[in-house]
Amino acid sequence: MESDDAALLRRVARGDSGALTRLYQAHSGRLFGYLLRLAGDRMTAEEILQDTMLAVWRSAGTYAGGSTVTTWLFGVARRQAYNRLRGAPPPSPTEPLDRADPAPGPDELAIAAAGGTPVAGAIGELPDHHREVIGLVFVAGLPLAEVAAVLGVPVGTVKSRLHHARAALARTLATQGVPE
Amino acid sequence: MNEQLVEYAAGSLGQADRARVEEHLAGCADCRADLAGWALLAEAAGTAAAPPGPDLVRGALLRSALVEPEPVTRRPAWFSLSLVLAEARLVRVSVLVASALVMALGVVMAAMPAAYDGWAGDVLALVAPVVAAAGVAGVHGPRRDPAFEVVAATPTSPRLILLTRIALVFAYDLVLALAASGVVAAVGADPSGVRELIAAWLGPMALLSALSLVLVVWVGADIALGVAVVLWALRVLAGGVLVDVGGVLDVVRAAWSTNLATVLTAAGLLAVAMILAGRGEPLRRSRATHLL
Repeated sequence: MESDDAALLRRVARGDSGALTRLYQAHSGRLFGYLLRLAGDRMTAEEILQDTMLAVWRSAGTYAGGSTVTTWLFGVARRQAYNRLRGAPPPSPTEPLDRADPAPGPDELAIAAAGGTPVAGAIGELPDHHREVIGLVFVAGLPLAEVAAVLGVPVGTVKSRLHHARAALARTLATQGVPE
Repeated sequence: MNEQLVEYAAGSLGQADRARVEEHLAGCADCRADLAGWALLAEAAGTAAAPPGPDLVRGALLRSALVEPEPVTRRPAWFSLSLVLAEARLVRVSVLVASALVMALGVVMAAMPAAYDGWAGDVLALVAPVVAAAGVAGVHGPRRDPAFEVVAATPTSPRLILLTRIALVFAYDLVLALAASGVVAAVGADPSGVRELIAAWLGPMALLSALSLVLVVWVGADIALGVAVVLWALRVLAGGVLVDVGGVLDVVRAAWSTNLATVLTAAGLLAVAMILAGRGEPLRRSRATHLL
């Protein structure tokens, strides 16, 4: 599996677009799950995923085998996500406040993006670096060691972020009165 | 086991490890409770949504053909020099002129007929630290810095900018104080020599400036300047007017002199200021709007 990926990536580096498609099909589910959790909405996640594939197409030759292909791909995706999310335009000036906005508010949007339950909505409230770890561990299903490699932090840091996220989630659910 | 519980809840364990974890769970209530917590988090994280189809790859390839990759931008070799020059233009001339005038006044005082031994060194030690601390207090913050907002919007790190500007102002004051010491020694006002003169102000100047810098970054320029002047006034009073009680004044004098401890403390304070500078805004900046 891993050696297949490395071979695919070598073919991508030589300009084989079919290999890029196969690489995409093998990893898009996990990458997209992670990006969706990080970005919060489907459209942005798709844009970042396309940025990621563009970056992979252009820089496949720089993969030197120092990490697994999966780690490398998630690293590329993470960089693209931060490029795009950091460059996100600021929220538009506020509308007049005297009438209710019929569009769903940020809470509803976050809940909808995260799967439609209030428990899932609580995830959207967590800070970026917590949501990122949750996305990598639970949505993308990476082993903790690989998560640590993608983020460039020790495994212990990954664990402590997970514990913090779990405690924060429990607090949110307790204040919202959602039965566990 | 803890790590494997997370991976078990996430469904990323291999067959063999899964079986081992399940075997352990059957006999361990603590781990079962722990797993319930992780399972809740896994549930909250949701499952991966269906990704877009391979059309997305075609879109990426199309973009690759149409859009040139952005060239990698690197800082040019002369970046540091141009940063120093640009920052030099932002240091207000009035600060430089005032520093020079106060220092000149100090030289005149020091060159006057000595009231006692070591008079010239004491005068320079009185003037130089306050001049430097006041200069440092004036270089940072939205009200002191005419280009504060513009600079905050540039990609250059605020720490690097602060460090550059501090280096500029401190270097300027250092040159002034060195020149003052040279002049005082040249006119023969002090028999002990230039080295003794410099030792009289160098340590206190570094320490007081570093203290002032931390306060500027932490709370704001006015407080920093006030605290620096008050601290220094206490030190000067400790030099003669106050009555020594229980050797306290000896400690004060030792703290405000040129030795390894003062230099290390100053360096430590500088590091603290740099850490604080990258963390955003001083306490007082949150109240940008004045209430009547």
